[in-house]
Amino acid sequence: MSGGASNAVLSVRDLNVRFNSEDGVVHAVRGCGFDILPGKTLGIVGESGSGKSVTALAAMGLLPETAEVTGSVRLDGKELLGLSDKAMCRHRGNDIAMVFQDPLSSLTPVYSVGQQIIEALRIHHPGMSKQAMAARAVELLSMVGVPGPRDRLKAFPHEFSGGMRQRVLIAIAMANNPRVLIADEPTTALDVTIQAQVLEVLHTAQDETGAAVVMITHDLGVVAGMADDVVVMYAGKPVETGSAEDIYYNPRMPYTMGLLGAVPRVDVADKASLVPIDGIPPNLVRPPAGCSFAPRCPLAEEACLQGEPELLPVGGPEESGALPGSGAHQAACIRTDAVGPGVDVHELFHAPPVPVSCFDAVPRQERRTVLELRDVRKHFPLTKGSLIKRRIGTVRAVDGLSFDIREGECFSIVGESGCGKTTTLLEIMEFNKDQDGEVAIGGLSNKAASDARTRGAMRRELQMVFQDPTGALDPRFTVFEVLSEPLENAGMAKPAVRKRIMELMELVGLQPDHVNRFPNQFSGGQRQRIGIARALAVNPRLVVLDEPVSALDVSVQAGIINLLDKLRAELGLSYLMVAHDLSVVRHISNRVAVMYAGKIVEIGHVDTVFDHPRHPYTRALLSAIPVPDPRLERTRERIILRGDLPSPLDAPRGCNFATRCPVFAALPAAKQEKCLTAVPPLGPEAGLQAGERAAGPDQQFACFFPDGEIDADMLVFHEASDLPDLRSTTPRTEKMKGTP
Amino acid sequence: MTNLNAIDPAAVAEEARIENDDVVMAKSAIILRRFLRNKTAVAGLVLFLALTVFSFAGGFFSAWDKETIDPFNIGMPPSAEHLLGTSQAGIDLYALTVEGTRISILIGLVVGLVSVLIAAVYGCTMAYFGGKVDKVMLFVLEALIMMPALLVVAVATSGGGDGLRENVPSWLLLIIVLLVFSWMGSARLIRSLAMSLMQRDFVKAARYMGVPARRIVWRHLVPNIGSLLVLDITRGVTGAVLAEVAFSFVGIGIKVPDVSLGVLINQATSQVQTFPWMFWVPLVVMFLLTGSLAMMNDGLRDAFDPGSGSVGRARRKGK
Ligand SMILES: Nc1ncnc2c1ncn2[C@@H]1O[C@H](COP(=O)(O)OP(=O)(O)O)[C@@H](O)[C@H]1O
Ligand code: SF4
Ligand code: SF4
Ligand SMILES: [Mg+2]
Repeated sequence: MSGGASNAVLSVRDLNVRFNSEDGVVHAVRGCGFDILPGKTLGIVGESGSGKSVTALAAMGLLPETAEVTGSVRLDGKELLGLSDKAMCRHRGNDIAMVFQDPLSSLTPVYSVGQQIIEALRIHHPGMSKQAMAARAVELLSMVGVPGPRDRLKAFPHEFSGGMRQRVLIAIAMANNPRVLIADEPTTALDVTIQAQVLEVLHTAQDETGAAVVMITHDLGVVAGMADDVVVMYAGKPVETGSAEDIYYNPRMPYTMGLLGAVPRVDVADKASLVPIDGIPPNLVRPPAGCSFAPRCPLAEEACLQGEPELLPVGGPEESGALPGSGAHQAACIRTDAVGPGVDVHELFHAPPVPVSCFDAVPRQERRTVLELRDVRKHFPLTKGSLIKRRIGTVRAVDGLSFDIREGECFSIVGESGCGKTTTLLEIMEFNKDQDGEVAIGGLSNKAASDARTRGAMRRELQMVFQDPTGALDPRFTVFEVLSEPLENAGMAKPAVRKRIMELMELVGLQPDHVNRFPNQFSGGQRQRIGIARALAVNPRLVVLDEPVSALDVSVQAGIINLLDKLRAELGLSYLMVAHDLSVVRHISNRVAVMYAGKIVEIGHVDTVFDHPRHPYTRALLSAIPVPDPRLERTRERIILRGDLPSPLDAPRGCNFATRCPVFAALPAAKQEKCLTAVPPLGPEAGLQAGERAAGPDQQFACFFPDGEIDADMLVFHEASDLPDLRSTTPRTEKMKGTP
Repeated sequence: MTNLNAIDPAAVAEEARIENDDVVMAKSAIILRRFLRNKTAVAGLVLFLALTVFSFAGGFFSAWDKETIDPFNIGMPPSAEHLLGTSQAGIDLYALTVEGTRISILIGLVVGLVSVLIAAVYGCTMAYFGGKVDKVMLFVLEALIMMPALLVVAVATSGGGDGLRENVPSWLLLIIVLLVFSWMGSARLIRSLAMSLMQRDFVKAARYMGVPARRIVWRHLVPNIGSLLVLDITRGVTGAVLAEVAFSFVGIGIKVPDVSLGVLINQATSQVQTFPWMFWVPLVVMFLLTGSLAMMNDGLRDAFDPGSGSVGRARRKGK
């Protein structure tokens, strides 16, 4: 076991990391090992706290002094553990480099981007001339797709957007052509469209340098398309390893199966419940007696508690001794036979049945409207100068939004950050008559009346669940106080309040006798349940959900989504949801609106919009989302948008998407003129007769050239070598009807 | 709960205890329970209360008072007649210590409480109004911080304050001066805390539920700043006790005939060799006083701040 594959660039053996914390010794990594070959990609997946980052930092020698690291990390056969910091510096940034999650804090704000790249070069190549270094820096920046690299060298990190900063970090990491690049959640903080760009950049960088990449992420979709091999970590230990196909199509450990069942898919209309994994990961202060997953495992039996299962080949004993990264499929479970492709994961984890709302059978037109927005606008003045404020422009955060939500329906708004989703929600929550546009909640219009009583009535119709479950609960309130606040405010009597609170706890799946606890005594998922219970306290008809699951781990997220689904059906609730995770949106929404720069660009029934997107932006957005299916992911075409949201200052006069539109880029100049001068209205397919419109699909879009041909430069295939012809002949021909 | 934590016996016990409790408990009971769980803090509280009782009632247990001179016992070590001995002037040291402790505690409590009160009002006002009001008030605050406290104390209690000294006892003067200089740091802290609290989601949540502003401030803002206030009070009291000792020690604080722990220590330093008890007795009392406050500090934080992991502490002990 000590040698490992001889040609591996990085081989990690029996890595153990312990931290001394106030509560005792945290055993953060407990025997992690893998090999990685040049040019290959290894994906490490796991929930937060499973030890992914600590493993990476240990390999880089970046852990604090207080950490106790044992085992072996070999780079080209040379042991890295135990090297002094000075000796390690020779390798770090040279043979082995790292990209972090948060691009802002990893760049020094006081130095220009160019200086930082050159610094990385100078450390390892002191002899290089100034001109050579500058030239190399420009080359690196253009490799990672920073436009105008020569001028951008002098820019400072704060002048870049998140995606651009992440590119700069990749450029710095690739500066010395490292043998190994470790990327720790490189895209978690980014929007999907930007994520697609950055993943693409990583791909190019790997192609050009032949580096081995260790891709650390919690998102099973991100690794599916990239990784050759995958390691699934749980409680500091690899619990299943194998090729990407083994892991995704033939998981043999209940945890892996559960994880795969817990993520909703953006590409399937199937509305089966998600697989919830009950409980929370173990506390790493106490070493588990048996299998660390046993407390949450539906297959756990007595034998699982007798010692921790070893990572063993699932195919049979003939491959024993193989290491993760060598492609052999291994799982740390004594019941691998009971799991596999033939087992229904929903049955295994007791996923609840799909809830059916009494409204589902009623046609949409016949249901009551609970919320209606008519031409709502919110513009912020953009000023410059600190003493005398000059108005230099207007930020059209929300620009003429109209939609309605019917009873029992979940309506979602999706779009990149900064497109105006949150502002829309705030406009609805503010509800006063000075607003630009009309907001009607349960028939009460903001224009008609805004005395305290109407507003009170409106508040009872409409409640909100926040993104960060921790920040949304007063840390000084017990759960009882949290839940009693809206009830007391509504004037309910004390005994009734108590009764209602017990009901609510039951409703959201919390133990009623935990009402005396403070929020910090609950896990993230339970806190979100408290938030939901508070929103439901006064029996609202509409609940506004602001990114309700984005702060939660996948396995916990599934439970919350199932709960929201159940509540919608049982209580006849309507939801207005804002989310950036389109898979989640597809799973729980009935209708969806895609927003871009303050405007709705496409709206309609969720399946229609997701299966047949018409607007180029929707198409790009959907193609950017990675799906947890390696084969599909590798052959999928992807529309990579250029750049970020346009700055509000140079907002185009015509279609506001023209600056990034992949269809626009492919149009002949004569047709481009139309996009640049006229604003496309939101409406159903043009040219339909009135009768056809009503009968047609529930879908409206704002584009003059729906389904237009996509500019070839913005289309990307991975594994282009395997599919030689596809790049030039766009395979989306079935959707290429209409305008060439 | 089906996680591995439940295997821990202490955690199970904790769980069972929480579950067996009456389902809905009063908030104050929870806070008290959390405070009582910290044994050090309880010891600190007992010690502090004992010292306070001693400083008020201690006089009854001795025939002597702080003014009567015993001409037969001058500079005597502890004896049956004078429990803690006498000073060079022949005054009973026990009586002096009781009196000194009272003045020190009085200074500490008054300065600690009142300065935090001023800080809270000032800080919250700044945060609430913001804008111009905030700017002006912040300027005043910064200007005050710049002023050298030592100089002002020296002037006020000696030369320059002669007129005042006729009418006002020196301990009251010291309280006023200490007050003027002790609240600015806390005020700045409270301002920024209140400002960040107003941005938090739970405040928004309350607003969206239609909870009136007054109630939000009272139920969400104040309690969340509250634990800081409580900690500030204990810190302020400690600070004031020490400041009094320091000022009196360099001779610009409390002036005889008023006594305080600082005055007693100051008088005794020159003759530590010959009359050690005169030095050690007030010093030990001062240590007990500041020590008891420091011990309480930790428990108070646990009690008021749910984020402090009071449960974790209990578990650790169980291990
Ligand atoms: N510097 C540190 N000191 C103490 N504990 C740490 C430190 N860094 C990480 N840990 C602990 O190690 C465990 C694994 O963390 P991490 O590797 O960051 O998880 P992941 O990256 O999989 O989300 C966690 O329990 C975390 O609290
Ligand atoms: S070893 Fe037992 S408890 Fe662990 S995953 Fe396998 S079946 Fe579940
Ligand atoms: S109107 Fe033109 S620029 Fe706008 S989305 Fe359609 S094709 Fe692109
Ligand atoms: Mg991490």
